Amino acid sequence: MTTQKTQKKAKGLSLNTRNTLVGMTFILPNFIGFLTFTLVPVVFSFILSFMKWDGFNEMQFVAFNNFAKIFKDPNFRNSLVLTLEYTVFTVLFSMAAALSLAILLNNKLRFVNFFRSAIFFPYVASIVAVGCVWKAMFMKNGGVVNALLGVFLPDSALPGWLADVDWALPAVIIVSVWKNMGYFMIIYLAALQDIPYSLYEAAEIDGATKWQQFRRITFPMLTPSHFFVLMMLIINSFKVFDLIFMLTEGGPGTATQLLSMYIYNKSFISWDYGVASAAAMILFLIVGGITLIQFRVEKKFNDFM
Amino acid sequence: MKMKRIAALGVSAMMAASVLTACGGPGSSTPASTPASGSTGGSTGEEITLKVATWDNTSNPSVQNAVDAFMAANPNIKVELMDIPSADYTTKLTTMLNGGADMDAFFVKDADTTKSLADKGQLADLTEYISADGVDLAAYNGLAENFNYDGKQYGLPARTDYYVMFYNKDMFDAKGMEYPSNDWTWADFEEMAKQLTGDGKYGAFIHTWQACVMNWAVQDGKHTIMDYETGYDFFKPYYEMVLRMQDEGSIQSYGELKSANIHYSGPFAQGTVGMMPMGTWYMATIIEAVKNGESTVNWGVATIPHPEGVEAGWTVGSATPMCINANTDKKDAAWELVKFVTGEEGAAEYAKVGAIPGRADDAAIAEIAAMEGMPEGTAEALKVTNISLDRPIVDKVADVNQMLGEQHSLIMLEQDTIDNVLASMAEQAEAIING
Repeated sequence: MTTQKTQKKAKGLSLNTRNTLVGMTFILPNFIGFLTFTLVPVVFSFILSFMKWDGFNEMQFVAFNNFAKIFKDPNFRNSLVLTLEYTVFTVLFSMAAALSLAILLNNKLRFVNFFRSAIFFPYVASIVAVGCVWKAMFMKNGGVVNALLGVFLPDSALPGWLADVDWALPAVIIVSVWKNMGYFMIIYLAALQDIPYSLYEAAEIDGATKWQQFRRITFPMLTPSHFFVLMMLIINSFKVFDLIFMLTEGGPGTATQLLSMYIYNKSFISWDYGVASAAAMILFLIVGGITLIQFRVEKKFNDFM
Repeated sequence: MKMKRIAALGVSAMMAASVLTACGGPGSSTPASTPASGSTGGSTGEEITLKVATWDNTSNPSVQNAVDAFMAANPNIKVELMDIPSADYTTKLTTMLNGGADMDAFFVKDADTTKSLADKGQLADLTEYISADGVDLAAYNGLAENFNYDGKQYGLPARTDYYVMFYNKDMFDAKGMEYPSNDWTWADFEEMAKQLTGDGKYGAFIHTWQACVMNWAVQDGKHTIMDYETGYDFFKPYYEMVLRMQDEGSIQSYGELKSANIHYSGPFAQGTVGMMPMGTWYMATIIEAVKNGESTVNWGVATIPHPEGVEAGWTVGSATPMCINANTDKKDAAWELVKFVTGEEGAAEYAKVGAIPGRADDAAIAEIAAMEGMPEGTAEALKVTNISLDRPIVDKVADVNQMLGEQHSLIMLEQDTIDNVLASMAEQAEAIING
């Protein structure tokens, strides 16, 4: 009855079209934002990567010159390698930390909500404040980190952290793991609570140890979450900028000059939008490629499950 | 998928692009908004509002005062100052110019970027105005030539700043030492810093900028930071000196200053350092701090030490040019402002608050030295015979300077030997300059 009524009102538009229209209206506000601030700039940046442009004068088409320039630039190769290192370690440690914390805080502990909030807090904290505090904590002499390490290590073995070319990247990784883990812990926690308790009961009856239960039940049951966490972490790590900018500005030397920092320097110090866009395109291709592969693999896995 | 970086890049690019079309070239501007022509300008009844970009206006009154005096003299021209934080100024200015923001005149904070702004066609050519109004460029002590490219004058130096030595008189008195003279060498400086150190105080303060080491190497005017052909060997003695001082503890280490984000004004104003080579811009800041009671430091100022074999009075510095936006439709009025601010009246306003005007003559220096809160002997200390530019105004200097900054941190944090880093600087500079 109702369908007939509304169909009359809609004057010839099929139910399907109308539903689509209504749906589109709902996503429109979001889509306009996406279009203006993401899609158009991305397309524009793509065009720019084949141009020579200082931001003011007419653009010149230079074909693949910008890419050739970039691949000759040792700073670019350096930043690419650093970005890969940063991503691999940040992703691995963040996942491990998030999963362990989630399992730990999935138990019935006292003050469990307090601990959960405490661990989630870094994720909400302002990166500027966090950067300043960690910078002070990482001071070679008198920093909290080295004061603690000094209990176990002789003074000569204490690292210089942000002031040392070999330790600056690990220091940045530590901060980002600390900042990431709370959010991904929440995701794991939610997934953990969805695992039916009966599985554990059955395993216990069969005499499975806690480790076996983790390996055979918990870990595989979390597969969809693993994929989500992995993907978000990889994408975030590739485009990390704010944290580096706050902690080291790419230094000492170029020890923490990741791709995003390289792009920033090329655009806002050298004012070479073409080269900066070309580097951004390469970053885009890497992240896009990884995402595609993950989608494929995830689909296979989920079908298999 | 979404990348903030790309988006940011693209957005600024888009802004620029949209404005390019919106401007549609100088010919299409609406006639209503053009001030009635008449080359001397300012004589029409119509009120004109000029927008002028500057930085840290609240902490340094020189620009505000000069502009106020201008408005008093030209009641039909109103000047709106756009105040931008100094750390963001150069980036913001370029973005605003690229984006075609509504701005008529501006100061260029990093003088070495003037050339690239001129190359991009963002600066109005002032040559005709200058000859029409008979402005004598010789009054700028050779600073004006830095803003003349291919025979066209793109800006006039409103202000100049050069390095001098600030010192803490109380710390010298406590050790029974004589104050630095205006004719002394860097070796003297190092020795004095060593003697002043103790009781939790540092003999000197070397700020984290690469300029605070490299400047002394270009002070003699024989080299610039672009001279990679020499392998940058002229930097070496000064890096050796600063590292020695760092090791001996007569200066606070680079690493500590960086990780604690220490601004140079802090330690000096608190009286915990004996000497600090810093630009003349700091005079106004410290006078203000003493006046407000924020600082009780009993300070003095001396000419910067000179390298062995160089005459006393050679220093390093920079000029701040005032330029006109090539795209403004109020060029005549903007020129009146530039002429005033960089002229005698503007110079007097600058000098009154302790800023050194671009046309610094003995009268201006005397005026500055006579300011309330200036220590005795300022006039003698400020007298210099030559100002070498800290960064020459040539192509790619911003890129080379950025690279030098990265490498500077490696030496200061003792991550590699001076020789290795200097070699790497030379190699990279060559790639940047010839690449």
